[in-house]
Amino acid sequence: MENQPYNQAIVRSFVNWSIVWGLVAVLVGVIVSLQMVEPDLNFPPYFTFGRLRPVHTNAGIYGWGVGMIFATFLYMVQRLCKVPLWSDKLAKFQLWFFNATIIASAVTLLLGYTTSKEYHEMEWPIDVMVVILWVVFSINIIMTILKRKDEQMYISLWYMLAAIIAVAILYIVNAAAVPVSLFKSYSAYAGTNDANVQWWFGHNAVAMVLTAPFLAMFYYFLPKSTGVPIYSHRMSIIAFWSLIFMYLWTGAHHLLWTPVPDWIQTLAMGFSIMLIAPSWGSVFNGYLSMNGQWHQMRENYLVKFLILGITFYGLQTLQGPMQAIRSFSAFIHYTDWVPAHIHMGTMGWVSMIAFASIYYLVPRIYGRELYSIPLANLHFWLILVGQLIWSISLWIAGVLQAGMWNAMNPDGSLTYTFMETMVEMYPYWWARSFGGMIYMTGLIVFIYNLWMTAKKGGSIAAQTTVETTTVEGRA
Amino acid sequence: MDLASIVYLGVTFGMFVIFALIVIRTYSRKRKDEGEIAKYQMLDDD
Ligand code: HEM
Ligand code: HEM
Repeated sequence: MENQPYNQAIVRSFVNWSIVWGLVAVLVGVIVSLQMVEPDLNFPPYFTFGRLRPVHTNAGIYGWGVGMIFATFLYMVQRLCKVPLWSDKLAKFQLWFFNATIIASAVTLLLGYTTSKEYHEMEWPIDVMVVILWVVFSINIIMTILKRKDEQMYISLWYMLAAIIAVAILYIVNAAAVPVSLFKSYSAYAGTNDANVQWWFGHNAVAMVLTAPFLAMFYYFLPKSTGVPIYSHRMSIIAFWSLIFMYLWTGAHHLLWTPVPDWIQTLAMGFSIMLIAPSWGSVFNGYLSMNGQWHQMRENYLVKFLILGITFYGLQTLQGPMQAIRSFSAFIHYTDWVPAHIHMGTMGWVSMIAFASIYYLVPRIYGRELYSIPLANLHFWLILVGQLIWSISLWIAGVLQAGMWNAMNPDGSLTYTFMETMVEMYPYWWARSFGGMIYMTGLIVFIYNLWMTAKKGGSIAAQTTVETTTVEGRA
Repeated sequence: MDLASIVYLGVTFGMFVIFALIVIRTYSRKRKDEGEIAKYQMLDDD
């Protein structure tokens, strides 16, 4: 297989650009976290919390997350189908159009253009760009799958196909709007329908952008890193289908206690709890694949990232269903508990898997062994500690906030004013910024390691040389 | 319950039936080896 002319150059470009957007996301994340404790750091009109926050979330999810989805899908599809990409030209177009879309998004958000729908803030001209981008990507992946050599499709391909199809549907349905000028449109839906469609989109974006593709990566890069197949392919298939069936109904758990019909809320709550099963199906599959291989946690830095990543996924998918229960939601909704949930998912699960994937790809796309494994280990500990400080401090803050909001005097009046509850948050918000800076230091160590690999690297593995030579000829 | 909710729940139930069929097919004894082959094949390449 080594002589297959796989296109690695495009994978390398996507990895590099995702890292650029990842750095932007984390840097802006640290800045917005500081703006919450030091309001003087807001520089109106462009650099205020309100404008920078969506730049942070979109750079994180779409620049870093989707960039890595593009990189790894384009890599995995060639390997799993044992054929080269259907079209290299399309992939190259996708790369530059992706960057153009991210830049256009960041600029318009800073200029204050927004639909105000979370994770779908960009105005309609950018929606059109996103749709073109996704269609180009989908065609290339689907056509490559159709050319595949093995009839049986590995589980990662199933997750990839699901993500491709579902994101297209979700995005287009939620984007339906009436444009009134070049940068202003109104949603096609009104009132609670609008909210319901938005969160059907919102939570399935979590499912189809921040979950399914990263499970595809996990199922691919874990066995590749350990050299041992996954525990059960059939179990992964069942977990896949149950995840697909269940996620679609859970969006309304973002709208508990709102005017959305009660039965829709209850359905969302029920399905959210049921989601524990397919989510943990993958977690168990991952852990059981490590049977007899746990020593690799010490010896193989890649495995550490992957197993910690799937552990955060497991915790995330226990915490999520809990938050979807009405009584628990009544306590933590609107508090800082929720951002802590999100960042265990994004900084823990999503980013750990993305980092592992990049480390695995490095020798293949740069043609050199990683510059320094001790630096990779340092990176691991910095991001782990940074993320834990971030999440734990905000969980505590969330519970404290909820407790203060709910506290009542014997006469039924509120014990604390809103300002009093805000002041209590400051130490935790400082802790978050501190955790974020540790995380960012980890990211810089990672980038330095990759930079040095690209420049110098370690010894060149013979197999890698063969692969890159064939590929370079093609790029 | 109005018509919309009945349709909503009907679709949900329909999907459950499809899911049950997938489980039965995946775990049928006849397809045991076929169902696991992909996890070995994916290790071939590289
Ligand atoms: C079984 C799986 C999961 C369930 C049932 C679940 C449930 C929930 C619930 C109920 C909320 C709303 C909290 C509130 O506002 O009161 C929420 C928020 C969120 N979750 Fe999860 N979660 C799950 C897994 C994940 C995963 C794996 C990620 C990946 C990063 C994630 C990312 C998010 C995000 C980004 C939000 C914030 C949405 C917003 O901006 O309001 N969740 N989740
Ligand atoms: C050092 C790392 C990071 C820091 C310091 C940071 C900081 C922040 C801050 C301060 C907020 C606003 C919270 C609020 O409104 O109360 C936020 C929100 C958010 N961040 Fe990050 N972040 C980091 C990494 C990431 C990454 C890597 C991603 C995605 C891959 C991400 C995705 C999000 C999302 C989805 C939200 C919206 C949360 C919500 O709706 O409640 N963050 N982040």
